[in-house]
Amino acid sequence: MSAGNSTQAVHFGNTQLPEEQRETLRKAKKLEWITIAFLAVTVALVYLVLGNSQAMKAAWIEDMLSFLPPIAFLVAARVIRKPPTEQHPYGYHRAIGIAHLVAAVALLVMGTYLLVDSALGLITAEHPTIGGVELFGRTIWLGWLMIGVMLLIAAPPVFIGHAKMKLAEKLHDKVLYADADMNKADWMTAVAAAIGVAGIGIGWWWADSAAALVISASIANDGVKNLRGAVSDLMDARARTYDNAAPHPLLERIDDFLGNTGWVGEAKSRIRDEGHVFHVESFVVPREGSTPTAEDLELLREDCVDLDWKIQDMVIVLVPELPEEFLPGVETGGED
Amino acid sequence: MLAVAPLLAGCGVSMPADPNGTLQEITGGTLQVGVTAAAGEEGDWVQLQPGAEPAGIEPDLVRGFAASREATVEWTGGTEHELVDDLEHGELDLVIGGFGADTPWTKHAGMTLPYMETKDERGKTVKHVMLTPLGENAFLLALDKYLQAQELQS
Repeated sequence: MSAGNSTQAVHFGNTQLPEEQRETLRKAKKLEWITIAFLAVTVALVYLVLGNSQAMKAAWIEDMLSFLPPIAFLVAARVIRKPPTEQHPYGYHRAIGIAHLVAAVALLVMGTYLLVDSALGLITAEHPTIGGVELFGRTIWLGWLMIGVMLLIAAPPVFIGHAKMKLAEKLHDKVLYADADMNKADWMTAVAAAIGVAGIGIGWWWADSAAALVISASIANDGVKNLRGAVSDLMDARARTYDNAAPHPLLERIDDFLGNTGWVGEAKSRIRDEGHVFHVESFVVPREGSTPTAEDLELLREDCVDLDWKIQDMVIVLVPELPEEFLPGVETGGED
Repeated sequence: MLAVAPLLAGCGVSMPADPNGTLQEITGGTLQVGVTAAAGEEGDWVQLQPGAEPAGIEPDLVRGFAASREATVEWTGGTEHELVDDLEHGELDLVIGGFGADTPWTKHAGMTLPYMETKDERGKTVKHVMLTPLGENAFLLALDKYLQAQELQS
């Protein structure tokens, strides 16, 4: 946690982080602590002016839920440092996947609850009551304070989110990505709540519930998106980029690298995304007539590990032909 | 928000507004008030005597507020249940009866800011409020402003 150990080697399990990633991790941790501090202030401020507005309630709950990803990230960042043990031969990398899943479920459940709650408010035509508040000896409308607080807290998360987004790519960290994504969209929640309250102000009682619906929908949507990502990672789906936008390019790089090695005729790998690092199983068919030794294999493995810091836990299996049962989609016999 | 305030005021929109126009209706008109008797050792909130106008701290406050809006008060007696029901259906504008801020009626009625604090016989602080129709925010704010401006000793 302290900056003091940034000069020491930092490990994710057996993987030693390169300089760039080490620095990124340190920055990410710092940003997450800043996020937590900002959220603590936000939650307290919004609570003070919560009143009877459903939109404010939804925004407040979203702020509370926003604590989860940074906490998940910080906890996971500690747990995954542990090297593999006899009990956990693959290391502790999956901690980040579990953290991701828990956060996703929390978002989805609360989002759905708020969605139903807000829809009921709209259907039963609840008229939100917002009266006066005493401020410096004067009685003013509480709605002004609500709008003021929401507009005040709208902007900072956007900047924090953008900063985190850059780090998430370098670290290949999906929890950090999800967190950054939520932060970036946070201003919409705040503005929606402010609009809802302003709507109450001009006598549109339904504006509040409508704004709350929009906010709850965005929370539930975050939940679904994250749940999908977390589950597919835990299900060992094909490794994808940090934002799930495309298959991870490393798979092709490894296969190309293996294929271009002199004694290798054909090579194909499957990759499991363990959170930050990849577990790679490569099947290698030697060229006809070549007889690779154990040293050749070890050398090849080491060269692959040097390709990228995310590759460390790798096994290379020598096979007479690519095993279709382990490599679905592979065409036996090869296309080239 | 400070930039938005004069903007809206310039458009002739006053914030907050009443969805059902309560404040506009009572100003220079009639304030329909529900009363239920509430008098105890801590104060005579509402005293009801047959053939007489309601008396006590709260009816006095209501008369003062009505006068400030040039409204005449029409009193309706009943149980809390009946009065809150009438309030919800727009037949009453205000219900008084020694309500505390922890009243269980909050799902059915809006609540003013506490205009006075007392202690009950168990030493618990009671924050005294009046009940208003849900969502009639301009009316509520006007009442809040009036009540907060009164110097009330507990």
